[in-house]
Amino acid sequence: MRLNSFKYLVKQGFAGLWFNRVNSFASLCIMTISLLMVGVSVLVSINVNNMIGAIESRNEVIVVIEDGVPENNLTLLGDQLSSNRNVSEVRFYSRDEAWADMQADMSEDEKALFQYMSKNPLPDCYRIRVKDITELSETVGEISQLASVEEVQSPNDFANILISIRNVCAILFSAVTLSLIVVCFVIISNSTRSSVYARRREISIMRYVGASKSFVEIPFFVEGLVIGIVSAAIAFGLTWFAYNEIFNMFSSDVNMLSIFGLTAIIPFESIAVRTAIAYAACGIILSAVGTVISTRKHLKV
Amino acid sequence: MVEFRNVSYTYPNGQQALNRINLKIEDNEFVFVVGANGAGKSTLIKLLLRELTATEGEVIVNGFNLTKMKQRKVPKLRRTIGVVFQDFRLIPNMTVYDNVAFALRVIDAPTKYIRARVPYVISLVGLTAKAKSYPNDLSGGEQQRVALARALVNDPQLIIADEPTGNVDPARSFEIVDLLKAINECGTTVLMVTHQHDLVRYFGGRIININTGAVVFDEVIGGADEAQ
Repeated sequence: MRLNSFKYLVKQGFAGLWFNRVNSFASLCIMTISLLMVGVSVLVSINVNNMIGAIESRNEVIVVIEDGVPENNLTLLGDQLSSNRNVSEVRFYSRDEAWADMQADMSEDEKALFQYMSKNPLPDCYRIRVKDITELSETVGEISQLASVEEVQSPNDFANILISIRNVCAILFSAVTLSLIVVCFVIISNSTRSSVYARRREISIMRYVGASKSFVEIPFFVEGLVIGIVSAAIAFGLTWFAYNEIFNMFSSDVNMLSIFGLTAIIPFESIAVRTAIAYAACGIILSAVGTVISTRKHLKV
Repeated sequence: MVEFRNVSYTYPNGQQALNRINLKIEDNEFVFVVGANGAGKSTLIKLLLRELTATEGEVIVNGFNLTKMKQRKVPKLRRTIGVVFQDFRLIPNMTVYDNVAFALRVIDAPTKYIRARVPYVISLVGLTAKAKSYPNDLSGGEQQRVALARALVNDPQLIIADEPTGNVDPARSFEIVDLLKAINECGTTVLMVTHQHDLVRYFGGRIININTGAVVFDEVIGGADEAQ
């Protein structure tokens, strides 16, 4: 195709947008809102995952060691724990350390109760952190089998709650995203259909004078693409503004999230590029695929 | 060259529009196709333009066998045919020049060629003074001449005129057919479908009469214009 023809077709695409400006504007608005909702849903999901991840990393499993285990067996157990694929951190917590910490936390009356105790009653233990909380019970099972281990104390209920929250979030966000993608398809398809209808006279003439299929389709493709790109840009701008406002709100001195023991939300700067790419890709892919499918359906060239 | 070999067409609802038609139109011929409403004239045109494919037999147009033709080759066929319709089918928001140039733009013609060819063709149909006018500012006859210029601009081998005088007043109808005759004399085959028997009688030539899907008359008659 000649460059001049290509320029002509692109111009026709823009002319089509202007010719159907009410419809184009409506499509642009709905597409922007849909993209925005997809974006919000994904950003919330990323933040929820980040918070769950932060909580997960603070999660501790205590491996209680049998009484009287020799020094070299303790080292061996430490190595075995470190080599477990789901263990991210291993720290030896000696019985003396534990006893000192316990006494430090005690009130004077409580200390008095223990002052005649001749021997430290606490066991040696390892404090470990797991990488993936969803595999906690398997990891606990594996550690329990190791020699010298008396007992493994893990926060199973807490892990189960986190896993449930994460699963519910994943299902919810996937459902929202999927349904909004369908909405975007329908919008673009509808916009193309009305554009095809508005230009049916031109299209019929194009067919009779021997225009190729691509020549007829390109202006509609341009129309869809422009709607997709502009709505992605607007959605990105709005997200940037709204996200920063929310970020500032949660980053104040009295942090709402810290009240609930949650980590702060991710700053927009660190996800801006990814968000922009995702919006652009969504806008372009949805509009391009939507237009192609719809032109093929409504244009019998 | 146009050839119909034992061509039948039956619509999906079972209605038979054409029944074993055999026709041959040589290059440079001028042919009138007449017939009552529902006789099969429109189906004949749709088969020539490959909007429909014959359910039986073979249709050959300008060297293309339309029965065997793949859909993606259809634009190639249509670039060898110029079509003129009763309702002109001009684009109202384009000037006369742009309406004619449109036919070249959509087949990816070079801009230089468009700039040279379009004014020439507009001058052939006598509308140079109106090149910048919009279709709605023109009379029916002028609009049809624009449509003719658009059909001509690709330099087609065959022009199909589907009732080109149907929306034009009687005096201008004769001008349109005169123009088609002049185009034919320059070497283009012309197939004109019409209801206006006075025009056919006046111009004469080869007349094909279609009735209930069959060719019932195909002969050359002398016209009144020749007698004058």
